[in-house]
Amino acid sequence: MTISAVRIHPDDNVVCLLRDHDSGARPKLGDMTTPSLNSAVPMGHKVALVAIEAGAAVVKYGAVIGHATRAIAPGDHVHLHNLEGAPP
Amino acid sequence: MSLPTTFQGYPRPTGRPGTRNRLVILSMCGLNGPGARKINAALTGAALISSPYGRGQLGADEAFHHHMLSAFGMHPNTGAALILAADAAMRMGLQTRIETAGRPVSGFSLQEAGEDSDRLVSAAIEAGRRLQGDLDRDKRVPCAIGNLVLAVECGHSDASSGIAANPLVGDLADTLVAAGGAVAISETMEWMGTEPSLYARCATPAVAARLKRLVKARHDIARQSGHDLRIGNPGPQNHAGGITTLEEKSLGAVSKGGTSPIVAALAEGEAISGPGLHLMDTPTLSPESISSMVAGGAQLVIFTTGHGNPYGSAISPTLKLTANPDTARRLPQQIDFDASPAFSGVVSRAELLPALANLVVDTCGGRYTAAERLDECQEVISRLGPSI
Repeated sequence: MTISAVRIHPDDNVVCLLRDHDSGARPKLGDMTTPSLNSAVPMGHKVALVAIEAGAAVVKYGAVIGHATRAIAPGDHVHLHNLEGAPP
Repeated sequence: MSLPTTFQGYPRPTGRPGTRNRLVILSMCGLNGPGARKINAALTGAALISSPYGRGQLGADEAFHHHMLSAFGMHPNTGAALILAADAAMRMGLQTRIETAGRPVSGFSLQEAGEDSDRLVSAAIEAGRRLQGDLDRDKRVPCAIGNLVLAVECGHSDASSGIAANPLVGDLADTLVAAGGAVAISETMEWMGTEPSLYARCATPAVAARLKRLVKARHDIARQSGHDLRIGNPGPQNHAGGITTLEEKSLGAVSKGGTSPIVAALAEGEAISGPGLHLMDTPTLSPESISSMVAGGAQLVIFTTGHGNPYGSAISPTLKLTANPDTARRLPQQIDFDASPAFSGVVSRAELLPALANLVVDTCGGRYTAAERLDECQEVISRLGPSI
């Protein structure tokens, strides 16, 4: 079985999917699997590896890419509906 | 993973060793352009750098133009230079500077050739062949890898760039910095949204302060022209590809520089004088950005691309890397390193790093890049203001 998700930096609390996944799938991340997906998530998109509280930092590339606008559960798709960057 | 400890380079009387030993033709003025093309065509393997300007430039723009031409003439990869100028004064200024760096130079001007371009072309070809004959006698020797300055660039990016290609090049950048080498990244507008994380990574408060000044000045140029590139960025295409925030988009670009502390914030074309990760303030167009880092001293460029991009530096070998499997399949003649197995999930990023490191060392030692084979190489000197 090939890898189907990457954690770009060891500090990241989200992973990136390398292909489209259905709801309930468990993307394979090197030698570990991620939480099962709570919805279908397309390739390139992010999935929470752990629970992220509302207002907490979402970390990718080992850096803060924005903050959760609501509570995010492990396996949730992380995108415009629950993540917001700093205002322009 | 650590890099091989040496590469086969050309030692120089001053400064870092070269990865190439080029005859560089410096055509200083638009008047010299047509003749320069004929001279370049007659001198196999020469690198032509041709400025379409050279008269009526003012202040910072004029200083930058001359700085860039001198920097190319004194670059580690320049074994000898052939100068083409409009008049004797223009020729002598540049010739003296390059001779000081210990490089053989021959210079010609239209004025000294009686304004006869045919005569200038014949004389310059003869001189160029003599210089190339001398260069061919030079031999490569083992040089410590810590002498390498790597410029990293990305262009025509897609989802594979931020997820696989740039982080892989970032890993290589980290290993080079750990070995005592230097890395440069550029394109100020690409840092948009993630500047605070970059300031936090600066080695000293003075470096952070200079970086802030350079970033502000570049954004002021955009604002004065009525542009605010933060609005509507990332766009719908980015969102569809999985990028949510501007910070995330910029971090994907910046990740190609690795995770080292930022030791210096440089102005466009400024010398990369020490080891470590450098940020250079440049425009967004890849040719301007790459030429500025090459002028700063980079002897090798790694250029990541999503959809493909043929461009390479004329002075420094430019390795093209993609993680998009379709691009790797579609453009095998353009892509030097296929990182798509890391994007397809066949291997992890870490498994590709040794092969990339070997390609880097081989390329520094003389192996041609795709851009060199395809002859898709040039340098572009930015304009900083209008002429009179």
